[in-house]
Amino acid sequence: MPRVILLLLALFLGISNAETHLDFERTEEREDCLDYQPLRQPFFGDTHVHTAFSFDAWGQGTLAGPGDAYRFAKGESIGMQPYAKDGTPSRKIQLRRPLDYAVVTDHSDLMGETRICQDKTLEGYNSLICRVVRRFPKLGYALINGHVYSSLSPERYSFCGANGETCIAAGMKPWIEIQKAAERHYDRTEACQFTSFVGYEWTGMPGGNNIHRNVIFRNQNTQEYPTTYIETPSQEGLWEALHRECISAENGCDVLAIPHNSNVSGGLLFTTTRSDGKPFTEEDLYTRRSLETLVEITQHKGDSECRISAEDELCLYETLTYPKMSDMMGSRADPNDLTQNIYVREVLSEGLSQFNRQGVNPFKFGIIAATDTHLGAPGKVDEDRFDGHAAGTVDARFEVPLFPDRSDFNPGGLGVFWAEENSRDSLFAAMRRREAYGTSGPRMTVRFFGGWDYPLDLCQEPDFVAQGYRQGVPMGGDLPVIKESGKKPRFAVSALRDPGGEGAPSHPLERIQIIKGWTQDGQSKERVFDVAGSATPQNALDLETCTTSAQGQGQLCTVWEDPDFDPLSPAFYYVRVLEVPSCRWNQYACNARNVDCSQNDLTSEESEFCCEGEAPKQIRERAWTSPIWYSPTTKDPNQPKSHSGSVAPQDSTAPRNASFAPEATTDQSSEGSIESPPEDTGSGIAS
Amino acid sequence: MNPRTACWLIFITLALTVPLPLLGPFPVLAPAVRYLLLATVTSSVALVEGASGPVPLILLLFAVHALVYLVLEWLVAALLARSLSRLTRPSRRLIVLTTCGFLFLMAITFNLYHMPFGTNPKANLFGLLS
Repeated sequence: MPRVILLLLALFLGISNAETHLDFERTEEREDCLDYQPLRQPFFGDTHVHTAFSFDAWGQGTLAGPGDAYRFAKGESIGMQPYAKDGTPSRKIQLRRPLDYAVVTDHSDLMGETRICQDKTLEGYNSLICRVVRRFPKLGYALINGHVYSSLSPERYSFCGANGETCIAAGMKPWIEIQKAAERHYDRTEACQFTSFVGYEWTGMPGGNNIHRNVIFRNQNTQEYPTTYIETPSQEGLWEALHRECISAENGCDVLAIPHNSNVSGGLLFTTTRSDGKPFTEEDLYTRRSLETLVEITQHKGDSECRISAEDELCLYETLTYPKMSDMMGSRADPNDLTQNIYVREVLSEGLSQFNRQGVNPFKFGIIAATDTHLGAPGKVDEDRFDGHAAGTVDARFEVPLFPDRSDFNPGGLGVFWAEENSRDSLFAAMRRREAYGTSGPRMTVRFFGGWDYPLDLCQEPDFVAQGYRQGVPMGGDLPVIKESGKKPRFAVSALRDPGGEGAPSHPLERIQIIKGWTQDGQSKERVFDVAGSATPQNALDLETCTTSAQGQGQLCTVWEDPDFDPLSPAFYYVRVLEVPSCRWNQYACNARNVDCSQNDLTSEESEFCCEGEAPKQIRERAWTSPIWYSPTTKDPNQPKSHSGSVAPQDSTAPRNASFAPEATTDQSSEGSIESPPEDTGSGIAS
Repeated sequence: MNPRTACWLIFITLALTVPLPLLGPFPVLAPAVRYLLLATVTSSVALVEGASGPVPLILLLFAVHALVYLVLEWLVAALLARSLSRLTRPSRRLIVLTTCGFLFLMAITFNLYHMPFGTNPKANLFGLLS
């Protein structure tokens, strides 16, 4: 047994054969980390966290600030609403296992207004809208949501003064507090126990369609004031602002934007035209690709992986079938009536089509997951301890609700970065090169490599990881173009179950799937391959006790060769790792209340929530890796014609001042028959 | 107590105390005056800040509920007052005051109202007016 553990450690941490060396540019002053792994290690965390500085979180009674959120992420307990008049919380919450990193991403929109309505000493506190918000919180939320977030022409309220100066000035204070909290909780010692990032959420929702982005800064150098949807009501406007005020500022600022909730975007999150209907310029496409390297595939408000279909039944997972965010209070739509390009898989396919048409793939997303907590509680993902994350949807401000949230919402997930060490630069480099994956909550460890020459018995090799890097690319990368005809790409994938821990239950793995998307004759195609493990027998889960008879697997590993590979078709491949079925949070909540649907003594709320609702009672927890792309052409569109002189980054992951140049192309193979890939690579590893 | 006074007293009591639902996906039970108050607040915001986005819709929602419920309650009050008009003045007064008193007592004693638009999700009459 100890030998197995040692072998697994060697396999996943890559310490057995670490002759290779990775590097990234250090852009800040800090101690080197003692735990530095050249072959990288997984860091679990949350990139989407709201605190009392967000208007909607405050409106539902959250009082935890950014500092509290970071304390929570590090394993401390914090208070949770409802609060007594003296500020005493009615509940305390705490993570079972601390996170490695977190990013507080409060809404930039209404940051100043929220502060004004909270602080009696500020001008505007007694304005009509602030009075309405305090006296009629839900009505205030609805009115402000419509006036600002979901408006096609958002405006600031009259108390904000000319050009919104009063509110922008008031917003500076929370913005500085957010930065200070991030700095205070960032471990700059050699222990490297926790990393915080400065961030915010740009909260565009034109016509009720979600086009939100979480903006994350690489280090302490940030924009002077976060970009808002009110002043900058288009996605291209956001990109230009980030470029102008950060990347081109020449002060060490670097930034990424992470789109999320494409599932309720009405197709507007990933448009192929500018907001004025004109086609994106080549510069726009490169800017998008360099800034938006990641997408949040799942979170509190539903999963965005794929459309429900007969071909992939597992797409029926945390599915919200509302056409747009603002329809969440209304009735559901037929899944077939939802617009195109609202799911990540569709958008990855659209990226291939764009590449075929324009020579640029603007939708080259790595994949992560997050919570979107509005409780200041990053990483609170346990199904059996879900306390809701609601943004204005539950009256938790005033009383502990019978059930913590709407039954169609969920606890959200975690983002995992493969990085050398737990520091801002190392994690940010992983974000940029897309060496990342998301989980629906569990902490399974997933490796995914693509190449041409992996031996089929690679899983038996102690240097699995080193060979994975040396002979190919990791998740998020591009397969090198190969000149030899007849070769098929091989993918090495391995997964370890969430080890759990003291008081933290975990479930075994069920199977690994590889999802392939490609274009053929202008048509998008997709196929799901089961490559390791097997489906769990039905009824293995006892819903009353939430225990399973499924044995599952502690680890799965395989090398898979694409049997249908067409060297002329661009393609992407990503991995989905499934756990055996387990209880969904609503089932845990109903069990905790001892709700027996065969009895007649249930309250109407219990009956409706536990017995009559459409919410599934069980789920398959899962992980999704970033894709590995294959592009058949050698035409290299790395730099648009108009910016051919852009500065190449010093390391393969940092595009500072390379505004329209994506990551540098790195030839990762020692094989003479392989050319550099046509687009940016994901690895940057040097043998 | 003349019938006109009885009618007004019953109407005011009904408007202040009878919990009525808000049609739509909201678990709201509130008296008609509450809808009137919400409509007034929303229209004030619309006047001061403009009626952009869903503001007109929200205003319409509350205004229609307030109007319909108040009209219905006025009809009920008028019918009751008319049916009581045959009684003697002391009897009429006794019945009206007892009925109204009972409704107010219920409204004060129990959290009859579910008002997610307020500062408490559930409230009694004092909570409603506070």
